[in-house]
Order: sequence, then C-alpha cells, then structure tokens
Amino acid sequence: MQFPHLLGAFTDALEAGRLTAGGVGRFALELLAVGVLNVVLYGIGQYRNGRLSRDFEYQLRRRLFAHWEQLSTAYFRHRSIGDLLNHAMTDVQAVREALGGGVNILTNAVFLLLSTLVMTFRTVSVKLTLVSMIPIAFIPVFVVWLGPRVRQASRRVQEALSDMADLAEESLTAIRLVKASGSEPVEERRFTERVNEIVRRQVGLYRRSALFQSTIPLMSSLSFFVALLYGGTLAMRHQIPLGAFVAFTLYLTMLTTPLQQIGFVINNFQRASASLARLSALLAEVPEIQDPPHPVVLERVRGEIEIDLPSYTYPDGAVPVLEDIHLHVRAGQTVGIVGRTGAGKTTLVSLLPRVFDPPPGTVRIDGIDVRDLSLATLRGAIAYVPQDGFLFSASIADNLRFGRADATMPALERAAEDAAVLGDIRRFPEGMDTIVGERGVTLSGGQRQRLAIARALLKDAPILVLDDSLSAVDMNTEKRIIARLRELRQGKTTLIIAHRLSAVRHADVIIVLERGRVVERGTHEELVAAGGLYAEMYARQQTGEGEVAG
Amino acid sequence: MKADPGRTEGGEFRSLMRLIPYARPYLWHFVGVVLLVLIFNGSTVLQPYLVKLAIDRDLAGGGHPGHLLFLSLLYVGIVVAGLAANYSQIMLLQSAGQQIIRRIRIDLFTHIERQGMRYFDHNATGRLVTHIANDTETVNQFFTQFFLSMIRDGLSVVMIIIAMFELDVRVAAECMVILPVIALVAVLFRRTLRRAYQTTRTRLSNIVAFLAENLAGMRIIQIFQQEARQAEAFRELADTHRGASVIEYGVSVLFNRSFEMLGNAAVAAVAWAGGLAVLHHAMAFGTLYAFISYIRQFFGPINALTQQWNTLQSSIVSADRISRVFQQAPEITDPAQPIELTAGQVRGHIRFERVSFGYRPGQPVLHDVSFEVKPGWFVGFVGATGAGKSSLMSLLLRFYDPDAGRILLDGVDIRQLRQADLHRFVGWVQQDVNLFSGTIADNIRMFRSEISDAEVRKAAEVVGAAEFIERLPDGYDTFLHGKGANLSMGERQLLAFARVVALNPRVLILDEATANLDSRTEAWVQRGLRAVARERTTLVIAHRLATIRDADQIFVLDHGHIVEQGTHDELLALNGLYADLWAKSGTEYESEAEWKTTPKTLSHPR
Ligand SMILES: Nc1ncnc2c1ncn2[C@@H]1O[C@H](COP(=O)(O)OP(=O)(O)OP(=O)(O)O)[C@@H](O)[C@H]1O
Ligand SMILES: Nc1ncnc2c1ncn2[C@@H]1O[C@H](COP(=O)(O)OP(=O)(O)OP(=O)(O)O)[C@@H](O)[C@H]1O
Ligand SMILES: [Mg+2]
Ligand SMILES: [Mg+2]
Repeated sequence: MQFPHLLGAFTDALEAGRLTAGGVGRFALELLAVGVLNVVLYGIGQYRNGRLSRDFEYQLRRRLFAHWEQLSTAYFRHRSIGDLLNHAMTDVQAVREALGGGVNILTNAVFLLLSTLVMTFRTVSVKLTLVSMIPIAFIPVFVVWLGPRVRQASRRVQEALSDMADLAEESLTAIRLVKASGSEPVEERRFTERVNEIVRRQVGLYRRSALFQSTIPLMSSLSFFVALLYGGTLAMRHQIPLGAFVAFTLYLTMLTTPLQQIGFVINNFQRASASLARLSALLAEVPEIQDPPHPVVLERVRGEIEIDLPSYTYPDGAVPVLEDIHLHVRAGQTVGIVGRTGAGKTTLVSLLPRVFDPPPGTVRIDGIDVRDLSLATLRGAIAYVPQDGFLFSASIADNLRFGRADATMPALERAAEDAAVLGDIRRFPEGMDTIVGERGVTLSGGQRQRLAIARALLKDAPILVLDDSLSAVDMNTEKRIIARLRELRQGKTTLIIAHRLSAVRHADVIIVLERGRVVERGTHEELVAAGGLYAEMYARQQTGEGEVAG
Repeated sequence: MKADPGRTEGGEFRSLMRLIPYARPYLWHFVGVVLLVLIFNGSTVLQPYLVKLAIDRDLAGGGHPGHLLFLSLLYVGIVVAGLAANYSQIMLLQSAGQQIIRRIRIDLFTHIERQGMRYFDHNATGRLVTHIANDTETVNQFFTQFFLSMIRDGLSVVMIIIAMFELDVRVAAECMVILPVIALVAVLFRRTLRRAYQTTRTRLSNIVAFLAENLAGMRIIQIFQQEARQAEAFRELADTHRGASVIEYGVSVLFNRSFEMLGNAAVAAVAWAGGLAVLHHAMAFGTLYAFISYIRQFFGPINALTQQWNTLQSSIVSADRISRVFQQAPEITDPAQPIELTAGQVRGHIRFERVSFGYRPGQPVLHDVSFEVKPGWFVGFVGATGAGKSSLMSLLLRFYDPDAGRILLDGVDIRQLRQADLHRFVGWVQQDVNLFSGTIADNIRMFRSEISDAEVRKAAEVVGAAEFIERLPDGYDTFLHGKGANLSMGERQLLAFARVVALNPRVLILDEATANLDSRTEAWVQRGLRAVARERTTLVIAHRLATIRDADQIFVLDHGHIVEQGTHDELLALNGLYADLWAKSGTEYESEAEWKTTPKTLSHPR
C-alpha cells in the first residue's frame, strides 16, 4: 500500500517540477527501500505461514497414525489400506494447502478489499456506493448456496480417488494371483472403471467450482453496471462531480481482484472442508479396545488362563461363533486346540490378547479379567504368532527384534535357532541383514513362518500362542521346533493350534472345537481311545504308518 | 529411491516431453482454450474501453441517457460473454487434463501389472500406488495450470512489451535488460527448486510406503506393543518430510519474492533514470509515467509465470518418477510370434529340462532340475522348507525365467506362449490367499462376467465351500471387506479352491494350498478337485505327506536338486530322504530320544 502512494507522490512532485536530481535519487532510493521492505516482510509472512501449515500437516499425520495405532482389528477389517492412505495423503494435503496458501491470499485480499472500500466510502457518495454494492451483497448468498455443493462434489472426488488407490493397492498386493490366473485384463478393466469414475466426478467438481469462480466476477461486474448506469446518470445530472465518478469506477475495478481471490480461497476452503470432514470422521472413531479406567498392572504374570464364555459373537456377526466354552489352563500347561476349518480356534485365542474383546468377565488371566488388565501387562504377557505371520520389509534382524528392540545378536541367533531357521538365515549372503521384501515375499513360506515364531520366542512371554504356525514347515522341522518348544516352555503356558496332530500330540490337554463348541477334551491317548472326532483325524493322518514300521 | 546423480537435467526434462504424446489427442481442446483465453482477455480489455466511451461521450457533456443505458447493457453483455468464455475454457482445459491423467494412470497401471515378479519383489506397493495416484496428479498440473498460465500470462507479457515499444522504442529496449536478468534468476533457481521437489517427493513416498505397510501389519504392532516405537519411526519420517517440505516452500517463496523484488527495483530504477531524463527534458513526463505503470503491470504476469515455474519443476520431478516406471521394460515379455494353443488342445504334459535358477546372481536356488509330468498325472513335490519347491512352480508360471534350461508345456517352450494363454492353462493355488474387496461370488469368479452365478455356486459346492458361504448373512453376495479378514484362514483357502475350479485350468499347481485345512476338509477338497477334471494334470506341494501319498510320481527336492523320484512305494523302498521324511511324518514319535537328534535330512548347510 505504501508503494503506490510513494509512486504517486513521486510523479506528482516530478510533474510539478519540484524535483532536483538529488530529489529524484532520493525518491528512487526510497522506492527501492520500501519495495524491498515490502517484499521481505511479505516473504517472511508467507514463509512463516507455509511453515505453520506444514507443521500442521506433520501434526495431523502423526495424529492420524497414533489414532490408527489405537484402533482395533475390528476397525481395520472394514477399511482398506488404499482408502486410509488417501486420507493420510490427499486429504491432509488439501487441508494444508487451503491453510497455507489460502490464508496468505485471504489476508492479502481482505486487506485490499477493506482498504479499497474505505477509500470508496471516503471519496464517493455513500448512496452511490451502497446502491452499487447491492449485487456484490449477493455473493455471500451464492457462497452459501453453491458452497456445500462444491464441498459435496469434492468429497465425491476424494472417495473416487480412494477407490482407485484401493484397487491399485489390492491388485498389486495380489499380483501373483492376478498373473497366475491371467486376470490382468480384468484388473485393467476394473481399474479403468475406477479411473473413469474419477474423471466423471472431477468434471462435475470443476463445473461447480468454475461456476462458483465465475459468479463472483459476474456480481462485481453487475455492481459495475449499476455504478455505470446510476453513477453515470447522477454525473449527467451533475449530482456528483465527474471526477468522483471516475474515481469510483476505478475503485470498483480494484475491488474485483480481491473479490475474485476471496472467491478462489472460499472455493478451496470448501474443498478442504470436505477433506477435513473426512479426516474428522476418521479421528472421531473411538478406539474400542483401550486400557480400562483403572487398569490392573501385574508385576509378574504366571500364565493361568480361565475361560468361561457362554457365547461370543463378532461385533458385526449375526450368529455366535463360540458357545459354551469353559477352559481352565493352569500356569505352565501346554494346550492343543484342533478342529475343523472355521470351528473358531483363531477366534478363541484372539480373545486373550484382546485382538477382539471378549464379554466382560469371561476371559481371565491369573484370575483377573483381561479387560481389567492394563494393555501393557496383558499384551506383554502374551507372545502371539498369528496364522498369517506378517513380516515387515526390513532386515531379518529388525524383524526378529520387533518385540524387543534391545535384543542382542546372540539372543537373536538363539531365537532363530529355536525356531529352526538359523540355518536358512546363515545361508543367505547377508545373513541377519537380509531384507525380506514386503511381507516377506523374498522368503519361502516356511522361512516366513519360522521367522514369525522366532520373533515371538524372543519375546519370552509367560503365555505363547501359536496359531497354526507350523503349517508351512515340513514334518522334520516341525518336530524339531516342537521339541525345542517343549524344552523352552517348561513351566510356561503354551497354546498351540494345529491341523497336523503331530504338533499337539504332546500337549497336556487337547481340546477339539466343532462349530464353536468344545466337543472333546483330554490327552492325546485319551482322545484316540475315545474314538470321536479326534480319533478320526488321527486315523486320517496316520495312514501308512504301519508300512514304515514294517 | 535417491535421485540418480548420473542423470542430466535435460534428461529429466525429456521425461516430461515423453508424456506430451498423451496430450496430443486433445490438441483441439488446447487450441480451443487459447481462443477462449483470447476472448476472455479481449472482454477484459473492452470493459475499461466502454467505460472510457461512456465518460467521454455521455458524461463529459451533453450525453444521452439512452446511449448510456445501451453502453451499460453492452458492458454487461461483454462481461457475460467473457465469463462464459472463461467458464468454457476451465471446463475444456480441465476435462482435457482429466482425460490425460486418466490415460496416464491406465497405462501406468497396465505397465506395472506387466512387470515380472522380480520387480514386485523390490518395489513397495505403497510407492507404486503413489506413482499412480499422486505423481499423475502433479503432472496434470503441467497440462492445465502451466499451460494456461503460459497462454494467459504469456499473452499479457507480450502485449505489455508491444505497448512499451509502441510508446518509445529506445526506452523500451533499455527496459528489456530486465529479461536476461529474469531468465538468469529462473535458471539459477531451477536446480535448487527441482532438487527440493525431488527430496520432498521421495520423502513423501517413504511416508506412503511406511503407512501402507504398517497399516497392513497393525495387528502385529499392537500384539507386540510396538505402538510407541512405530509412532516414533513415523514421526521421524514425517519430520524429515516436513523439513524437506519447508525448505521446498522456502526456496519457492524466495524465488517468487525475488521476482517481486526485481519488479520493485526495476520500478525504482526506471523512476530514477526516467526522472533524471525528465529533468533534462530528454523524456516527456507522460512517457515516464506510462513506463512506470507498464513496468509494474509487466511484473504481474511475470510473477504468475514464475509461480508456474515451480509447477513446471514439480511436474518434471513427477514426470521423471513416472518415466522411470515406464522405462522399466517388463522382464518377462510375450514372444513376437507366439505359438497358438487352444484350451482344448492342451493335454497338460510338463517337462523341465536342465533348469537352473537363482533370484540373485551367484545365488542359485535350483540346480539343473529335470523332470517330466505326463498328462493327467497327479504328482507331489516334497522337501524341506526352503528347498526350492515354490520357486519351481514360479518358473512354470513364468513369474521368472530360468537362468538355464527350458520348461515345456505339451512340448512347447513356455517362453513361446503368450502369458495370457499360459495362465489360462496353468492354474495356481497357494497357501496365502488373496481376496479382493467385493462379494464372495465376485471373488470366486475373479470379477469375470463370463462366469455365471450358477458356475460360481457349482464351483463352491465342488470344493465344499458352499457350506460356510451359505451360513454367511448374505450368502454369495456377502461383501468381503479388508481382503476377507472376516473369514477363517481355511475358509479363505476354500474360496481359492472354488476360484480355481471356476477358472478350470488344464494344469493345476497346489502350493501347500491345503496347509490351513483340517484333514477331513482337505480330503473333501481333493475329491472335489478330481471329480471335476479327472484328466487334469495336478502338481502338489505338501508337507503333509498323506496328501500326496497316492501320487503318480513324487519328486523329492533338497537344496534345489531333485534327489529322488518315484511312487510312494518305490521311494520307501529306496530308503533315502523320502523314507526318512515319511518315518517322521506320523503323529507319533518313535522315542523321546528321536526328538533331540537332529535328523539326517534336508536343509542343513552342506
Ligand atoms: N472378524 C470376523 N468377523 C465375523 N466373522 C468371523 C470373523 N473372523 C472369523 N469369522 C467367522 O468365525 C468362524 C470361526 O473363524 P476362526 O477364524 O476362528 O476359525 P478357525 O477355527 O481358526 O479356522 P481355520 O482353521 O480355518 O483357521 C468362521 O466361520 C468365520 O467365518
Ligand atoms: N522372491 C524371492 N527373492 C529372493 N529369494 C527368494 C525369493 N523367493 C524365495 N527365495 C529364496 O529361495 C529359496 C527357495 O525358496 P522356495 O520358496 O522355493 O522354497 P520352498 O521349497 O517352497 O519352501 P517352503 O516349503 O518353505 O515353502 C529360499 O531360500 C528363499 O529364501
Ligand atoms: Mg484360524
Ligand atoms: Mg513354498
């Protein structure tokens, strides 16, 4: 604002012939100084604003991640990774941009607008100004009407983008299957559908926001029209001086730019608010599984497990998956769990570390309801090898020490040895430093599984749960691992789910699940003798034994 | 993921140029945009002119109210026309832009899907997704924002320059010294800007990769209570990204502001030189005034253009990232003249001839493997974990090409077949099941419309999946979220079996596909598989030896060698590795002592 003013003073003085050569120099210097100062100050402001919005972006991402870390498996089952990623990337960015760029332009524009308005009111007839402002006064109405539409269109665009990211992520994760089944054309078709949807919605969004952005200049032009007509008439009738009219029209043109900018920013804000709404919906998700209000912290967990579960139904399930489960595992016992596919084995053990929440009071560890224990105590006491041993795309060593960051190399090697995977690791040229690829793709199935076991063993928890974790290793290796486990887990509680009975043969007690109920329980010998389901499985797996013996 | 230092700047620019063909079909759109911009600009130039007319003709003296009304209406008309042009321009340009990214996205996705498996072993999915989702978006800005600004602001600059020259050629020419200075500043900043963008983008995609992986493994994080540690790792990533992003922003602010500074300095310089000239009567005051306002106007579009210089740099960086993906030629390609085989012809004869293979040079996984599978055979592969069984199957599926030797399907080298054909003949089920967001039925038919609902049901019934599917709330229409997380592992495997039955390949590979099934379900599945295709060739990898006991032939792998082969009985008679495995495959152990002794078998360092 100072710069034009100074320039005006300069030209005035020059025109009036009031300047010497030195005066010109001084003016030029002053102009330069003001110009530099202006730019520097504005630049600093802009930079700080930008930094602030980047801080915001950073905080928001961290917050999102921290939030996700609290949400339970039940939540993630319904969300796809591509969608969540899109939230963390595109939506956060949209908000940042609106904040950073928008605020800059907005402050600038509002300042310009206000100062022009003040000048207008000061120099020109108030009535003329007011009358001419009528069309401009409609702008807010428009904003209110069109704004939500832009916002909604923008939300739909974001959803379409999420869909595409989802499909891409899913399809690339399953690339082996896609290729092996020759499904590339199908996937391309599905991808193309998603992309077409994006185009459709984007064009819809542009239609609305172009309308939005055209309306504002239209309104200000209408204002100009009124000024021209009404002011012109006034001037023709000599009710206002011609000079005032000219000045007024000039001011009105000066209004257009900031108005346009404000329209632009509001438009951006609308879009960002769609993203913000998506983000806040995400952040509003209440973590289901949390520390209780008064968590019980145990110094040492013995590993006694009591389950008295009348029934368990998944949060979104219709029928109970488990019914009438009563189980008492004394500290140090080894329990085998077998049963048909879909019988509820995984469900049962996932109640222990509260991957899913059991009904209150139904699952107790050392006599205390798992829901009353602090999550740290509870999960610290359980080493769980899930059925799909997930590995991170880090080195083998990093994967092994995932549960215990401070584990030494000998400790890692011991755990690897216990899980019978040390030999494999040693055979890799980079040994423990081998990077395993995403989800361990560069390992064989059995190597992946044994690493997951080693990772759990390293945790050395009072309770160990193996969920069908020996399914991908050969019988020999399985037996070696089981033998090691028997030594290692002396006096520590161990739950083993398996389909191959050899893995549970030695258990102190074996329970057989069928359709969510415990149908048999006992030791291997008892169950074989009982001649029930277990004996049938045993018979199936024993075919051929005799020949070897013979 | 670091920028390759060997690349030249020109090389990067060329990657943007390589994407230009995508814009070619929309040439007329762009021409239209230019015209519409001209109309819009014309309308903005006309507006003040009309006002001037009104002032001069009507207001200055003796005007006519009717004429004034006419002018005012004309004014509104021109404004509306201009805005209509502007609106159409936005729509035209943006839809062209959207069509361009659409094409790039589709091509990118297609290209990535065509890559060999080695590519996926080393490229994180999250990163690939950012190329498809975000880099394309940035490149789009080149075709829309950058292009528009070039036209609109470029036009303004040219017009102002012309006006200056019309006014006074000598002074205008002197003012033009500003141009090389502008170019110099732009060039000086180019490298820094680009590097800043590069760093930010790389770090952003690190964030994406981290998030993608950690969201997938969230259960592990929670079970191992590593929330704090992963949050800290994430904080670090986000922090380095923030750092880069702030620097990037700082550089671009510095860049843009330095132009404004230049503009103000230029005004001061003109004021000074011109002021002196006016004092010495070398220049008319009016000329100086005009020049000062021209110089000021000149920097408006120049500033807008320099904003776009940023866009250009970031587009170049993204285009470069995209180009690198495009430049990566698929390792496995179809032959120029593929041998045509129809599904009816294929008998399912498989032959491996002296096949050697390693994932990395110098680390062979399979050594000189030869074997033959006759049509309709049911063969088993056994061996310790890590022996190379799955690798063998990957070769048959052409996920990788062998380093030496060849693989024949019905006497034809599989490298001479189209991959699409090969994959139609050879089906594959493995232990890890991939499910897609979609209904159960869609997952079974793999979204192929040619497989009817009846076939889907039939397939599910054959493998015994129908039982659990019908128990689900919506049966076959049950929607699977999150890759089928609400099914038990065995149920997922049953779906995979149903899938392969629906696709009905001639050759079927089962890679520990029944590992998560109980014996009874497994037996049922196998009976089902045989029932639908009695003459199908089936290759089975299994650790549960009972599964392959009745196989026509069993191959025993050890450290990438086939060490034994024969029927179950023959192998037992051989009393070698297989016999040893078999002896230990039962549920019982001969003695406690046996546990402790390391078996004399497989997978021990030689
Ligand atoms: N998250 C879930 N939501 C709803 N239903 C589920 C969920 N997870 C599993 N189910 C259902 O609960 C039943 C029991 O599943 P569970 O995973 O416990 O079986 P399982 O005994 O471990 O089987 P498998 O041996 O195949 O792993 C199945 O019918 C399954 O479809
Ligand atoms: N994509 C890959 N990149 C690099 N190395 C690999 C890759 N896949 C497997 N390997 C290595 O090749 C060897 C053989 O692996 P393969 O998967 O063929 O074994 P396998 O016999 O199927 O074992 P399992 O019974 O455990 O599944 C292993 O040492 C493994 O680490
Ligand atoms: Mg399970
Ligand atoms: Mg394998």
